[in-house]
Amino acid sequence: MPTTTDPETDRRAEAGTHDRFGRLVLAEWTKLRTVPRWIMTLAAVVGLMALAALIDTSDQGGDVAEGEPLQEPGFTDNFHFVHQPLTGDGTIVAHVVSQEDSHEWAKAGLMVKARLEVGAPYAAVLVTPDHGVRMQWGFEHDVAGSENGAAPRWLRLTRSGDVVTGYESADARNWQQVGEVDLDDLPSTVEVGLFVASPDAVVIKRQYGSNFVNETPTRGEAVFDNVSVEADGSSPSPADGEWSDYDSADEPDFGGSSTESDGVFTVMGSGDIAEVRRPFGDDLVELSLSGAAVGMLAAAALGALFMTAEFKRGMIRTTFAASPGRGRVLAAKAIVLGGATFAAGLVASVIAFLVSEATLRHTSRDPGLPELSLANLTVLRAVVGTAVLIALVAVLSLAVATIVRHTALAIPLVVLPLLVPSLVEGGLPLSVENWLTRLTPAAGFAVQQTITRYDTAIAPLVGLGVLAAYVAVALAVATLLLRRRDA
Amino acid sequence: MVAGMDATIEVRGVHKRYGPTTAVDDLSFTVRPGQVTGFVGPNGAGKSTTLRIILGLDAPDEGTALVGGRQYRTLRTPLRHVGALLDATAVHPGRRARDHLLWMAQSNGIPGGRVDEVLELVGLRPAARRRAGGLSLGMLQRLGIAAAMLGDAPMLLFDEPVNGLDPDGIRWIRGLLRSLAAEGRAVLVSSHLMSELEDTAHHVVVIGRGRLIADTSVRALVAAASKDQLQVRTPGRSEAMSLLANAGATVTAGDRETLTVSGMPAERVVALLGERGLPVMEVTRHRASLEEAYMELTRDALDYEAVAVEES
Repeated sequence: MPTTTDPETDRRAEAGTHDRFGRLVLAEWTKLRTVPRWIMTLAAVVGLMALAALIDTSDQGGDVAEGEPLQEPGFTDNFHFVHQPLTGDGTIVAHVVSQEDSHEWAKAGLMVKARLEVGAPYAAVLVTPDHGVRMQWGFEHDVAGSENGAAPRWLRLTRSGDVVTGYESADARNWQQVGEVDLDDLPSTVEVGLFVASPDAVVIKRQYGSNFVNETPTRGEAVFDNVSVEADGSSPSPADGEWSDYDSADEPDFGGSSTESDGVFTVMGSGDIAEVRRPFGDDLVELSLSGAAVGMLAAAALGALFMTAEFKRGMIRTTFAASPGRGRVLAAKAIVLGGATFAAGLVASVIAFLVSEATLRHTSRDPGLPELSLANLTVLRAVVGTAVLIALVAVLSLAVATIVRHTALAIPLVVLPLLVPSLVEGGLPLSVENWLTRLTPAAGFAVQQTITRYDTAIAPLVGLGVLAAYVAVALAVATLLLRRRDA
Repeated sequence: MVAGMDATIEVRGVHKRYGPTTAVDDLSFTVRPGQVTGFVGPNGAGKSTTLRIILGLDAPDEGTALVGGRQYRTLRTPLRHVGALLDATAVHPGRRARDHLLWMAQSNGIPGGRVDEVLELVGLRPAARRRAGGLSLGMLQRLGIAAAMLGDAPMLLFDEPVNGLDPDGIRWIRGLLRSLAAEGRAVLVSSHLMSELEDTAHHVVVIGRGRLIADTSVRALVAAASKDQLQVRTPGRSEAMSLLANAGATVTAGDRETLTVSGMPAERVVALLGERGLPVMEVTRHRASLEEAYMELTRDALDYEAVAVEES
């Protein structure tokens, strides 16, 4: 007499869809962990990535030692500043008479800066030759004012406690607010004044396999008049405080300067005040994780095999006889595979990062080598994102293998689109290449970027999203086919 | 059986085509609890297709297959309702025998202890930790049977379970099938050899080219095939043959001293031979083997097949 078909037991066993799915995930996990070759493939993800990190960075160490300057991810803070102290609340107003079109993003305007040192908090309202009036602060915040607000233009900046507000006007009568920011803990005495900056001009020539990049510093120039600084409580007066010059340009030959005659200021300066865009700098974090391109191959192989092993031996019939819900089986497989490859990918990318950091530190004599740590959120995003990337590639391979049912077909179908953009690198115009990177699953590699370069195609998380969209579509098609086809 | 638990397998009007080939053609039969039902037909007759349709793996173009009154795909813990052995080699070669059963058990919420029980039951306990790739076909067959037993299900399907088993194994599985039926389970066993089911099956469903040929009890089938045949042993075989044939009987020669006689009562055979002075050493009622009965049944289907092959 069958005993386990006792209705009570059966009811318990059939209780809750959550339990049912949990059982399925457990069963798929048992399947994965009990094939030694598959566990070795997971280990290969870790091994390949660590090895690639070691090779790539010891290579890089030589270049670095030859004097390539490396900077910490962060900001550039280079400009010429004609300034005077302002104690307490107050306002600075100036009329930008003209601005030389030295660069589309050349800047001329008013600034409040906490201290005269690189990286100190600031807020600025400014004009640009091509991008109108802007209010900027904290190196990464940028608010657009009127679009056609090139010089000549009136600008005003007020400081009230920690709050700095920027205004613009065509005629010094009708003022429009551009932006407002609360700068935490501004000292009571800040430096206010006129500033000019102008970023490097970049020319890129591409030939197959190599880029010829020319970065030339530019010098901006702007003329200001009607400059006034007014501390609250005193009457408006022409600026009669002591004006001083401060220059933080990093190109010695392109230092700034200023002249003043009858209240007309001519200021020259070069550099930029912004998030660091080292358009040609090496992304050391991305470099340390470059082994993902190899580790992903192992993940793709595992993903395909996890499904094709079922088709090859008719095991799929045993699987579907045990669990008739085919969509659920695929979901359970995707979760188990994704989880396992994420874990392996995380171990791999942490090891790869630490190994390459140690290697760089060992081989490089560059004193400017940035201190990169997993505690840095950008670095962490790249490292964890790489693990997600590897997991997504594995699940994509699972879905594609479900559709085509052959390992030898599934792996190239998954891997080639991921590799093509890097294979054709330098062989196509940059814009074509960038679109290729944005539209193929290879967009997922963007998650490894920690700096923005001249050839950056897509933002890190957006890129990962593109890959995830491919995975979602492939899973949907795979589910449909699994349900429709005979097992 | 447990009260309220319907353990009948029902195939109703099932039709299945793969491209231009009709695999199963309007097939209906019932597998009842408490007996072993043989599912017989030549290779390619549609047996495996029918089993896959019962298990919800292939979708029939027409008709339905029900297990315990329900569609297989609606079962939440199917292994507790239906145990099946389809293909014993459908195991990942890198996986240990026990792990293969373990994932199946987990997927249906069957406790791990049951895995060891069924391994013991099929005599695979010593090989539990061996990888499937290193098991003989006979051991794989036992592993597949263990998998079918996992859920202690009231309905069991075995596709060619004798494949690869040694004579000991064959004796063992026959005993197992009978005892499973005796416990009140419905047991369906497919085979392309009727002789394998001799002494095992109570009932047979015979198919050829996807169509039902017979659905009958083994006893009735054998009786029908045996008809009124007599087996006669006599040293004067050729003389006896002509004598009986002239008297209106149908006679075929068996080996050496035996004749098979039909169309004549035993008393008359003995009387005729006695008159001529031919010694009669033995007269027995001939019992057809299941195989003979089957050959007779499928002759038409096979002829049709031969014609079809010639035409193509």
